[in-house]
Amino acid sequence: MPSMENRAQQRANLLQGTLDMLVLRTLLHGPAHGHQIGKHIQRTTNDFLQMQHGSLYPALHRLERRGWITSKWETAPDRNRQFKYYRLTNKGRKQLVVEESQWKQMAEAVARVMWPAAEET
Amino acid sequence: MKWWQIRHRNADAERELQADLELEEEEQRETGLSQEEARHAARRAFGNTALIRDQIHEAWGWARFERLLQDLRYALRRLWRSPGFTLATVSILAIGIGATTAVFSLVNAVLLRPLPFPESAQLVWVTQQDHSLPGIAPESLSYPDYFDWRAQNHTLQGLAAYRDNSVTMEINGESQRLEIETVSANFFDVLGAVPMLGHDFRWEDEKPGRHMAMLSYSFWQSQFGSAKDIVGKSFRMNNHDYIVAGVMPNGFQFPFENPAPVLWTSLADDAEGKDAPTQQRGYDVLGVIGRLKANVTAMQARADLSVIAANLAHQYPDHNKQYTSALVEPQLAHMTGNTRPALRVLFAAVSLVLLLVCANVAGLLLARGSRRNTEFAVRAALGASRTAIVRQLLLESLLLSVCGGVAGITLAFGLIRALLNLLPLEIPRMQAASVDGGVLVFVLVISVVTGLLFGAFPALRSSRSAPARALGEGSRTVSSGKAQHRLHNGLVVAQTAICMVLLIGSGLLMRSFVRILTVDPGFDAKNVLTSRVGVSFDLLNHDQHYLFYQQLLTRISALPGVQLASAAWPLPMTGSSASVSFNIQGRPVSRGDEPSESLGVAMPGYFKTMGIPLIAGRTFGEEDGLHGPPTIIINQAFAKKYFPGENPLGQHIQVRMGDDVFEHPVREVVGVVGDIKRKALTADADPQYYLPYAQAVVTNPYLVVRTKADPAAIQPAIRSAVHALDPNVPVYQVATVEDYLSKSAAQPRFQAFLLTCFATIALVLAAVGLYGFLSYIVVQRTQEIGLRLALGAQRSTVLGMIVRRGLLLALAGAASGMVISVVLTKVISGLLFQVRPTDPLILVATAALLLIVSAAASSLPACRAAWLDPMKTLRDQ
Repeated sequence: MPSMENRAQQRANLLQGTLDMLVLRTLLHGPAHGHQIGKHIQRTTNDFLQMQHGSLYPALHRLERRGWITSKWETAPDRNRQFKYYRLTNKGRKQLVVEESQWKQMAEAVARVMWPAAEET
Repeated sequence: MKWWQIRHRNADAERELQADLELEEEEQRETGLSQEEARHAARRAFGNTALIRDQIHEAWGWARFERLLQDLRYALRRLWRSPGFTLATVSILAIGIGATTAVFSLVNAVLLRPLPFPESAQLVWVTQQDHSLPGIAPESLSYPDYFDWRAQNHTLQGLAAYRDNSVTMEINGESQRLEIETVSANFFDVLGAVPMLGHDFRWEDEKPGRHMAMLSYSFWQSQFGSAKDIVGKSFRMNNHDYIVAGVMPNGFQFPFENPAPVLWTSLADDAEGKDAPTQQRGYDVLGVIGRLKANVTAMQARADLSVIAANLAHQYPDHNKQYTSALVEPQLAHMTGNTRPALRVLFAAVSLVLLLVCANVAGLLLARGSRRNTEFAVRAALGASRTAIVRQLLLESLLLSVCGGVAGITLAFGLIRALLNLLPLEIPRMQAASVDGGVLVFVLVISVVTGLLFGAFPALRSSRSAPARALGEGSRTVSSGKAQHRLHNGLVVAQTAICMVLLIGSGLLMRSFVRILTVDPGFDAKNVLTSRVGVSFDLLNHDQHYLFYQQLLTRISALPGVQLASAAWPLPMTGSSASVSFNIQGRPVSRGDEPSESLGVAMPGYFKTMGIPLIAGRTFGEEDGLHGPPTIIINQAFAKKYFPGENPLGQHIQVRMGDDVFEHPVREVVGVVGDIKRKALTADADPQYYLPYAQAVVTNPYLVVRTKADPAAIQPAIRSAVHALDPNVPVYQVATVEDYLSKSAAQPRFQAFLLTCFATIALVLAAVGLYGFLSYIVVQRTQEIGLRLALGAQRSTVLGMIVRRGLLLALAGAASGMVISVVLTKVISGLLFQVRPTDPLILVATAALLLIVSAAASSLPACRAAWLDPMKTLRDQ
């Protein structure tokens, strides 16, 4: 049983970690640089999550510091220039599972409050 | 990621942002925008790059480190800009840390540090209890007793004996007297010490004729040039050949005395000749140490040895009747015994100084913090968080503490050196003192914590209040609140109280020391030179020995500048003494019940030379010579104790002491002389009797020469007078009687000196504390005072207002200090001589001194307040 503080902490992490989770999930497809990650998130949510790309970079660096992703300068196949490519680490994969389950818990909890009738049926 | 990679990481992030931004721009252009529009669009899509850069920076955790650096720079600048405050705080901390560490290191070296021997907890000091005296009266053992204890005990791994001895040895062509130790064969084994070269003594080395010596490291170096092949070689000492058994490692010393023994000989020396000491059960001279068997306590050993002692007392009532039990002291505690109270007082004093230092620094930091209220308010208003401000202040305090700590450590090293030179050499083991790491850390932690605590207090308090209030009311009227004032008041009172306690303590010790100096020792110490000459008992017989001294004294008396010359043993204050039993004719008692008193031997003219008054009868003369009737002289205390209401003259006393010629003769009392202080100026005069040296040639007496002028000037003449008679006789222990007297007062002098040093430091610190507090109050009330003056208040009123405040605080401190000292000075009472701890003169004088100094300390800020320019202060608002 997690204690009260633990739950509160969990919830706080959940909101802040949403972006982290999205980034990690995106990298599951394979290595990508910051611009690609941003574009991918934007595209797959049908531009619903229209973030400024900039906010992505602190998140990327935070994830790298925690050892969930690694970075390497590589030449892009379509352009003759180097970009900083990020890759998911094993630790990052495990973290993605954790974040995913937390998000599910949150979503279910919210759903139960918002649509109680749906649950009765 | 380490901090030194910050630069690299920053460049990397920059490159990344640049690359991705360019890509975005390209993509925008591909949708058909112009270059200019594309760039703007890309920027818009990207967001604030400066902010992103900062956030990346933060993500790596560098920001905290950089803020610390920034705070540090700021703190340094702040401290640099108030050099007075910084210097004062650092030096006060240095005094506190330095003095405390130095003194505690000394205490540690003497009292707390375990003995430098393996498993020293098993070592015990063993004596027999003299039941003819009240209380615990340890008495040395004789050789036969020691041998019986050694053979019969069941609780000890080993029992070793040692006794101080001195020998004559020719060094660099001149006969010299050396301090050595005569020890049992298992001495080193019991201590757990192993020779560095050669082998330990063996049991057969205790047999007569075995002249074996164990050299100390320093003696081996200085006399034998550190020769590795020294073992088994022989050297000449006391007109005998000694064989070197081995060399002890550097640093080994036992017993702990000064001067340290240069070598150890086996007790075979004492087993030789007619009436050898090893045969005499009444010759109680041995120090005895034992090593307990595993799982045996000192109490069990005591019970075991007491059984043996009781048996011996029963078996040999003549010598052992009163020694029916043993004393066993764990850890050789007596080695430091009589210096313990003094060191304890020293320790208490230095702890008080440390407290005072803490209070003082706290006060300084509080005042400084309060003065900076406006600064904090401004910073808070500009967005600084409370933690940021507290962190800033903590950092400043930490910086101060570290500087103070470094200065303090330096001071501690210097102080220990100085103290070792100043302290009486007689304190055992002290010379081994060095700065103790643990102590240093302890003291550093205390002072740093004080700094942090009181450094942060004003910040915590001020950051709680709304900055708008502090700023809105005008920067100069920010008051620091009641709680802080109370705290500050308390600190000042505490400092004064501590100072008062120390002042009272030092006052008492000084008064006691002055009392000691004015004690009449019973003899005239001025212009008397003494020395000893090492006449060999092997080369000269009884009569020749006496005649040597007779001739020598005749020659010395004839020297120009010499008034009187004689010889005697022991001399007062030299530490040597002997107690021998006797019986008074007509009062038969069994031999074991015979009383025992302090004995002296004297050549004719001794009492006159020393200025000891003759009370009745006569002093020794030529008629008390080798062939005269046996005689004895007693002192007043002896007469009072044994012949109350009787005429002692003409009584007959048989002393249990003889030489080759006079064996325990019955002696007639021919004179009564005045009492003298024999052991110390603070001791009571005790019963003593004197025998003529001609009739008790038992030791080499001290030459006693009264000169007309400076006694030191006669020294070479005496040396040549001795060498004219026999060039091989060493002259040693040359000193004046005044030297011995001042040495006997060395401990109280040192105690008084040291405590006075501490009290002076305390007084200065307390005055600084008071001054600082009042200055701070004056600064805070500048406008109010200015207003008062502008409205016509007299300068004297203002002056009085501030001084009164200071004196009230000082009075409160003095009063509480007096109360505390009534409790604390009980500790000191053991060190006091004819002075009560509640001596009213000292209390009044101390309080007066404190108040005068406080008034002086208050008057400076008071004057500053009284001569404020009212116009200027009001305009400044």
